[in-house]
Amino acid sequence: MATLEDGSLTVDDLIAWMVRFDEQIVEHAELLTELDSAIGDADHGTNMARGTAAVRLRLEQGRPDDAGAVLKASGMALVSTVGGASGSLYGTLFLEMAKRVGTASELDTADFADALGAGVAGVVARGRAEPGDKTMIDALYPTVEVLTSAAAGGAPLTESLRSAAAAAAAGRDATIPLVARKGRASYLGDRSADHLDPGATSAAILVQALADSQTERDR
Amino acid sequence: MIGLVIVSHSPQLAEAAVELALEMVHGEAPPMRVAAGVDGRFGTDAAAVATAIDEVAGEPGVLVITDLGSAVLSAGLALELRESSTEVLVSAGPFVEGITAGVVLAATGAPLEDVAREVAGALDAKRDQLEPLPEAPAQASGDPLSADEVLINPEGLHTRPAAMFVQTAGRYDALVDVTNLTTGTGPVTAKSMIGLLSLGAKQGHRIELNGHGPDAASAVSALRGLLADGFGEVPSASAAT
Repeated sequence: MATLEDGSLTVDDLIAWMVRFDEQIVEHAELLTELDSAIGDADHGTNMARGTAAVRLRLEQGRPDDAGAVLKASGMALVSTVGGASGSLYGTLFLEMAKRVGTASELDTADFADALGAGVAGVVARGRAEPGDKTMIDALYPTVEVLTSAAAGGAPLTESLRSAAAAAAAGRDATIPLVARKGRASYLGDRSADHLDPGATSAAILVQALADSQTERDR
Repeated sequence: MIGLVIVSHSPQLAEAAVELALEMVHGEAPPMRVAAGVDGRFGTDAAAVATAIDEVAGEPGVLVITDLGSAVLSAGLALELRESSTEVLVSAGPFVEGITAGVVLAATGAPLEDVAREVAGALDAKRDQLEPLPEAPAQASGDPLSADEVLINPEGLHTRPAAMFVQTAGRYDALVDVTNLTTGTGPVTAKSMIGLLSLGAKQGHRIELNGHGPDAASAVSALRGLLADGFGEVPSASAAT
């Protein structure tokens, strides 16, 4: 049996993550939309908030039995409500993670790092974006790297997630000077520089939400 | 007849494009489904696209025609979410011209690949009616930002040449889009091995390179060199250079 010290993510932890993700997206929806109005179509905050609300609703309607089912239900809810590139890309992230974890009931740091890595690889393949293209990948890539090395070093789960959240935030901030090469922002060319990327910002929120919900659980 | 699935950010845009296209068909029209909008808003829903594909999957092949960028992402995800197993292609063709060309040819009972080729080339007729744009101003180095070459090595753009492409492209601060003009596949980035392999580029296919970024001219020139040289796989070509 896993204990708190073992540091595994249970089904309940994953659900708590999604609830916290929704709360933080709602809290930052205006910021996300404002960022998107600078280089996109000014709907990222409202789209994501619609999506995370649908995720919560779906998880409340029927508690999934295993980790894969939580991630799959979340991904499908996002696909069908967010719309646009974010819906497909966040959907791909969760669905690829779900495939990787299968029917596991708990994920340790290494399992989670591995699953997130598979999810991010799916997003890279779908969106054909590389690090440095000013997308959500810029926040997610460093997250996977930090989690993978934390898992290899045997760091406790919550501590690893906090380091990952810091890495995601640094990756997000590093998008400011970049010129967008993917999505509608790429139509702006050089004018997309000097703006924080909305997708990297919501992706950093996703990682922060997990660090926060686990920190809270450990208390 | 193959089935057509129209993916758009807007139901009105999709319905009007389909209606316009059906004006051209006087007999039986091919089975079509529209997957457009999300919850009454602009957007695309991969799950809805998957359902639409499944609904026409009884046909010998399904061609998906999309509007703007994220519709392409949704179509790609839909291929994984669908339950049917009939062959599906996602077209890079233009939306209005492509739907019209696709409906007309599909109505004749043409196979999927023929319709896909027709849709991918559907802008050509319009382009032929118009004066070409004046050439873009030359770069300082004099090298073009765009170039196209015919693939001469017998194996086509397989794994080894694709890896050479990625390595070469990676040396420059530039983004180079690669398109298979012969099949209308792409563009994909020259820095993505999977993307390059997805072009299905065979010997004799014409490959277009479009560079942007500070080193675009040098990057395009280097990649063009690889193509012209047959990636060192064609002895005579190597000897000639």
